[in-house]
Amino acid sequence: MKKNIWVNLGFQAGALLVAMLVTTGILAAAGAPPFQAYWSMLKGAFGSWDSIVTILISWSPLLLTTAGVLITFSAGLWNIGVEGQMGVGAIFTTGMMLLLQDTSLPPALIIILGILAGIIGGALWAALAGALKVFGGVNEIFGGLGLNFVATALTIYLVFGPWARPGVASMSGTKPFERELWLPTLPGTSLSLWALGLSILAIAAVYLLLRGTHFGLRLKAVGKNPKAAFLLGVPTWQYSMFAFLLCGALAGLAGAIQVVGLRHNLLPNISNGYGFLGLLVAMLVNYQALWAAPVAFFFVALNTGSVQLQINYKMDSSFAGVLQSLLVLLVLLGEGARQRFLGTARKAEPSESEIRNKQVK
Amino acid sequence: MDVELRDIYKTFGAVRANVGITLRVPAGTIQGILGENGAGKSTLMKILSGFMRADSGGIILDGRPVSIHSPADAIRCGVGMLHQDPLDFPPMRVIDNFILGRKGGLLPGQAEAARDFKRLAEQFGFSLNPDSYVDALTVGERQQLEILRLLWLGARALIFDEPTTGISAAQKEKLFAALRLLAEQGKTILFVSHKLEDVEGLCHRVAVLRQGYLVGEAQPPYTTKNLVEMMFGKSISAGERNPCAGGGSTLILDNLSVEDYRLKVRDVSLDVCRGEVIGLAGMEGSGQGLFLRAVSGMVRTVGGRILAGGKDLTGKSYHAFKRNGVAFLPAARLEEGLVSGLNLTEHFVLSEPPDGFFINWEQGGALARERIAGFNVKGTPASTVESLSGGNQQRALLALLRDPLALLLLEHPTRGLDIESTIYIWSKLKERCKQGTSIIFMSSDLDEILQYSDRVLVFFSGRVTPPLDASMLKTDKLGQLIGGKGWDEFTTGKSA
Amino acid sequence: MRKILAKIAFLSIAAILVLSACGGGGGSQLAPLGDEFTFGMILVGPHNDHGWTQAHYDAGLYVEQQIPGAKMIYLENVYSGSPAYPGTTTSQLAEQLVAQGAKLIIFNSDDMKDEATKFAQDHPDIYVIMASGDQVWADGNAYIAMENMTNIMGRMEYGKMIAGCTAALTSQTGKIGYLGPLINDETRRLASSAYLGAKYCWAQAGNDPAALEFKVTWIGFWFNIPGVTSDPTQVADDFFNSGYDVVISGIDTTEAITEAKKYSDAGTPVWAIPYDYQGACDTAPGVCLGVPYFNWGPAYAATIKTAQTGDWTSEFQWNGPDWANINNPDTSAVGFVKGAALGADASTQLDQFIADLAGGLNLWVGPINLQDGVVYLADGVIATDQQIWYLPQLLEGMEGQSVSE
Repeated sequence: MKKNIWVNLGFQAGALLVAMLVTTGILAAAGAPPFQAYWSMLKGAFGSWDSIVTILISWSPLLLTTAGVLITFSAGLWNIGVEGQMGVGAIFTTGMMLLLQDTSLPPALIIILGILAGIIGGALWAALAGALKVFGGVNEIFGGLGLNFVATALTIYLVFGPWARPGVASMSGTKPFERELWLPTLPGTSLSLWALGLSILAIAAVYLLLRGTHFGLRLKAVGKNPKAAFLLGVPTWQYSMFAFLLCGALAGLAGAIQVVGLRHNLLPNISNGYGFLGLLVAMLVNYQALWAAPVAFFFVALNTGSVQLQINYKMDSSFAGVLQSLLVLLVLLGEGARQRFLGTARKAEPSESEIRNKQVK
Repeated sequence: MDVELRDIYKTFGAVRANVGITLRVPAGTIQGILGENGAGKSTLMKILSGFMRADSGGIILDGRPVSIHSPADAIRCGVGMLHQDPLDFPPMRVIDNFILGRKGGLLPGQAEAARDFKRLAEQFGFSLNPDSYVDALTVGERQQLEILRLLWLGARALIFDEPTTGISAAQKEKLFAALRLLAEQGKTILFVSHKLEDVEGLCHRVAVLRQGYLVGEAQPPYTTKNLVEMMFGKSISAGERNPCAGGGSTLILDNLSVEDYRLKVRDVSLDVCRGEVIGLAGMEGSGQGLFLRAVSGMVRTVGGRILAGGKDLTGKSYHAFKRNGVAFLPAARLEEGLVSGLNLTEHFVLSEPPDGFFINWEQGGALARERIAGFNVKGTPASTVESLSGGNQQRALLALLRDPLALLLLEHPTRGLDIESTIYIWSKLKERCKQGTSIIFMSSDLDEILQYSDRVLVFFSGRVTPPLDASMLKTDKLGQLIGGKGWDEFTTGKSA
Repeated sequence: MRKILAKIAFLSIAAILVLSACGGGGGSQLAPLGDEFTFGMILVGPHNDHGWTQAHYDAGLYVEQQIPGAKMIYLENVYSGSPAYPGTTTSQLAEQLVAQGAKLIIFNSDDMKDEATKFAQDHPDIYVIMASGDQVWADGNAYIAMENMTNIMGRMEYGKMIAGCTAALTSQTGKIGYLGPLINDETRRLASSAYLGAKYCWAQAGNDPAALEFKVTWIGFWFNIPGVTSDPTQVADDFFNSGYDVVISGIDTTEAITEAKKYSDAGTPVWAIPYDYQGACDTAPGVCLGVPYFNWGPAYAATIKTAQTGDWTSEFQWNGPDWANINNPDTSAVGFVKGAALGADASTQLDQFIADLAGGLNLWVGPINLQDGVVYLADGVIATDQQIWYLPQLLEGMEGQSVSE
């Protein structure tokens, strides 16, 4: 078993190496001296307090969406709609805060209610995708994709329409909330320890949930084989719905945090691709919650560091996205290669009865 | 062709599938490979035919060491394998399938191939129409096609993996004749089976595998007892009948009707008493599967009532049935019964009602160890279910059942299992019966039906016989009913 | 395995804390920039957009040329929710420029107003120039005292009046379209200025004032964001298809002139007036009547020099054209370059109009009514800067949305 782990690590390291080689090639082709470019990315990511704060700020929504999709992945669901769930979370939070901002309620309570509204909003949006899947037979990928578009349209409508700044119609977003309605941040930064803490708590909770609880085990069973899980006594569709709800709640929380902790208003594209990035992270870590946190951290560090490429080498900042996608592809490829070269180490040969069952059918 | 396997090792994780196996098969021999499920026969043959690579060891053909990395390599070296499920491409014509896999130019020589096909088929007395479609062929005919194809590709050693499963008696005779003819031509035949009768009747020599080891070889005349002992390491005995002991009903069906898009089963009434075993016989798809799933709550009924454990469960969900002591074990163990990717401990934890929010893994592991030992499952608590052989999967499924159970419903409880597993499974089932659990099972094995049932329901196109006393039922009578004959004496559907 | 991971996690957190402890803070006082320094630009669009952003980028080059020790670094495509910087706010990006040594940051878009304020407040040691903003206008409506911020804007009202005049002198149908970006104070003021210029020249040329149609269509942002804003290409097409033969662009990019060329090539006599960037006509000279443009360079250079020497004061600059030569690259904040498509007569009349403006002609004089008919400036009343800057609606006679619905 020990040996297997090292072999696996070897393949992963190989995939990383190939990814590095390819990106180095891209850098060189784009006219940036690769090693200096890497160094400037590293410095850009970790070179200053501000940049580390930037990483931590982006880390928390990514942790939340990753935690969410880990749940739905475990249940065998491709919750592509996590992007829209985050957006609707942001909408609900904004709506609640707009409703309460002029009341005499204490600001802390308004913030908490706003965040709760976001969580509920995300969960509701996910429940919609879940209901489409469970009761309507609509594949969650298509349902989620459709709901993402609807969420975007809804945001744009609100930003330009009912919630527009007085006298303004711009996609710059709604009027920022008063400073007292901002999530408290570390002095001189935009880093909210509340946001960070909640996110770390969320990923830890998901890790525990999937690893050590009956709920998590049942979820996994539903994900791997719903028929067998059903026969073993797991109420399968309820668990699917539950997975959607939880994922949506986490995505909604991510959206809420974007509103109360960072942007302080609602703007189009407030989900900023965190949902899709969360899916990438989950795929890269092979759905293991344990690795999600460091990989998510690495991804946001890449995002932050790659800004330097534009400053120093005039490269497009989408380079980080290219690198991330490449990594995921190559690691998945490496996993495929591992299975091919080491035989189907994870799965033994199909038993004779299995083959015969097929034949009889 | 002389085939020699030398010191073959192959492991899957912790499972040792082949341990230092050395086997020499001279040309012109029909070599039997015998062993229970999971003994390592399939692995060994897959190594020889290039579907798998050995961890170590060598393959020597006609005295020359060869390296075989793929099925294509194997066929180049003259080794071809017929799988249990012949690897064909159903939407194709027979002749296209025949040509498939042939090395060479872009345009296969159709005419030449057709000539060869005809010649080969005649040689073996196979009547295959080259222009018919493969999906219209029976399993036996597909096998014939596959033999012809492999020979045409130049196979001089042929591996048959459980070839007598799913083919008719006539086809089996034809197959055996063909195999003998092939051997006379100097071809080497490796015949993998767990059916003693077939091996004894056909093979020139037999090698027996057990738990990855080659435990012995035998030559005619064979003694069954000796072979069985080599296969299982011990003698096994047949199960015994356990007649209805009385003491109340576990299941009452009152004019139950159920239907799906192609079949209607009407007005079945049945009263099953504690500890009774009801066998459901019939050709596949005659309504017994639908009936069984209706009784388990998985298929909504369209009429009548179901009372299980004294409660009216009509229209209730499977989970309600389950809560009331009704359990269902599907035939497709890995598809429906077990969760691939989860290990045994996780299965046992899943099958028990949750005892709080967090899982007590220690307790789960202890439960797993206890059940694994109790049901003689060859695996560890950390084994994933897909790494178990079919028999062990079935044992695991039985081990997962909770107590107490009023009614146990099984689809093909021993399909694909060897004799030892079959007997073991039934001994466990009978233990359940003694505790008062009633069993309803379907099987296509008439001997199984007659041997273990107390009463039998025969299905034919949705028609159901009244419960027939199994001890009074003869095999030929049962066979006729299954084939749709002799139904005149029953008023359709109505039963006692 | 888990233990290793836990250790890695622990070590990384420790490393981050140490790193951050070392890298922390910086001064909190403004210090003179000295001879050699880096300034950063946060650009809303791409630096070569032939529009608003390129005007700023070129101004940055101008600063580098005027101040030998100055070095520019920049980030482009920075706007709310830009996919180029997932999850990063504008102020965080400015911090990235600071990390690269920038001591002065120029925010080039109204879209960044809130973020620029936040950045300036969080970084009192960094000089901030916020183009088109009014945060530090003591007499403005949104005044926030920030020692380290200066607002700079050009009096584009004049450029737009000239553009409006040009359109009116050229239009054969009397229908002028205005391709508006988003709706706010600035865009209302500029669209209205164009209208005032058009109305004036239309009447001067002896046309029936009632026959002039002036319609504004907004797209929702400074440039096209597919799926979010209206498509400016579509809007321009709609104008040309419904009889508007001159389209004045108010957006950062060049769709109006590109579409005009298409229609013109197809035989429809239409023209366009792009915006922002001196070289904007180059895209399609054959349909270009001219372009009102910003010349940010002189103001940037002068302001940055004060930061260099320690003479910086937070101020609100609203710089007008140099009436001696509105196209003087070193003195005029706003200019107008005539396009190749401008007719000879119109050109002469336009020169007269510019000369009149230079001579004191003021079109922001009452009577001016708002779009809803309410009197904004009574007869003879001259608009104050505040009245112009914070124009609450479009003007009477203009068609189009005044505020968001």
